Amino acid sequence: MTPNVKRSWKRGSLVYVALLTMTMFLALSAAARTEDAKKDAAAPVASASHNAQDDTARLEGERRFHSNCGRCHTAPPKFPPRMMSTIIRHMRVRANITDEDRRLILRYMTQ
Amino acid sequence: MFSVSLPARKFARAFTFAIFLMSAVAMRGQDIGANPVTSQGDAPPEDYTLKAVPVLTGSGAYFTRVNAGQIQDAPSLSPLLLVPIGDNFLIEAKGSLADTYNKNTQGNYAGTVTYGMTYAQADYITKYVTLTAGRFTTPFGIYGERLAPNWIKALQGTPLIVPVTSGASLGGMLRGGIPAGTEKVNFNYAFYFSSNNTNHILATDRSSGGRIGFFLPGPRLEFGASFQQVLQADRPHSAGVHFVWQPNAVPLTLRSEYVRQSGIKGSGYWIESAYLLKQIPLMKKVEVVGRGQQFYAAGKLPAATVKKLGALGLDTNEADFGLNYYFRTDVRASASYGRQFALGRNANLWTIGMTYRFVSPLWPGGGAM
Repeated sequence: MTPNVKRSWKRGSLVYVALLTMTMFLALSAAARTEDAKKDAAAPVASASHNAQDDTARLEGERRFHSNCGRCHTAPPKFPPRMMSTIIRHMRVRANITDEDRRLILRYMTQ
Repeated sequence: MFSVSLPARKFARAFTFAIFLMSAVAMRGQDIGANPVTSQGDAPPEDYTLKAVPVLTGSGAYFTRVNAGQIQDAPSLSPLLLVPIGDNFLIEAKGSLADTYNKNTQGNYAGTVTYGMTYAQADYITKYVTLTAGRFTTPFGIYGERLAPNWIKALQGTPLIVPVTSGASLGGMLRGGIPAGTEKVNFNYAFYFSSNNTNHILATDRSSGGRIGFFLPGPRLEFGASFQQVLQADRPHSAGVHFVWQPNAVPLTLRSEYVRQSGIKGSGYWIESAYLLKQIPLMKKVEVVGRGQQFYAAGKLPAATVKKLGALGLDTNEADFGLNYYFRTDVRASASYGRQFALGRNANLWTIGMTYRFVSPLWPGGGAM
């Protein structure tokens, strides 16, 4: 191939890879959002009956969230539960938080 | 160099597109009807787990820096891919991409693209121990592992002592956090070994070391110590201590690290305070930051070594002051001023810019509330 053709082929490939990545991301996001909408619509109304045990666990989770996560960064918003589960798993490794802290923080951040 | 005919290229592109689209559709179909919560509601906290999904997170930033009169613009992107597998595995991969614009010798701005792989590791997580393999951030002190992301660090300038130790490792690591026999103290540890890698993007030293730490949730005090032994070249060892304290009464964070190396890279410390002005009605989103640091170069270094070490070759004192404004928890504007004192090289350091942290699910149903 001549240098010009090579350059064109390289440029074309780069554009192609960028478009491909974007398409994949958009397709996955669209699928995720469609599924989220379905689940939100079908979700039952949350029960209002919070017992004392739940409240205690939530308060303890909030306390541990602020003492562990707040040491390095500001409080993030409450992400969707399944994402939160992944993020907490990541933070368990990165910040060496205990298993009990992980459970309580996850519970607090997903309620 | 190989050549590919045009129809073959078109076919290859169409085929790859089809594979990706089919994967997306298949993933969507696979998730329909799946219950995201495996345990919820009245279940006791001990059983509280959720089905984790792959997540793409990370941060983008744009900063203008003026270092001793030299202007530099630097947009950057640091994506982090998290892929959980089952209940105990996690694959983490973080990359970095930055385009740094400086004035060249002709007086024009020219960009230099830099990229790298911060870490790419597989974790097997159990109650007390996490096994990690791959390329990971060296567990030394607190800055590299926890404070380095630009959406987290209170001041954008990296402390002078950070390059003293090897920042990345390639090998294996054991780590974890456990209650130290009482709820009042948590113990955490990390021990690792690393092999030598000379790849220009993934360079690591042959080394081993570790870190232990204690966290007292009551007074919100953390302290610990780190050690690193490099097993190549002049085989230097490094030792360091760190602490973090967040008083319960005020929104203040105090952090500090000290490190000393036996080789040519000297020793030093930094101490930083960050105060969120929560108690002032119109200033609730403003954080005031101050940092002081001193670096002591190793003694009796030959002139050639001093030149090669650059910033680590001279005794340096630095004081920085900064302001952060949180538009939201994920969007922050930052500005800082610092004064650096080094022999024959005093300088003003200005920084202004913004950071943005993003999080997105990569799996259908991952965003369901």
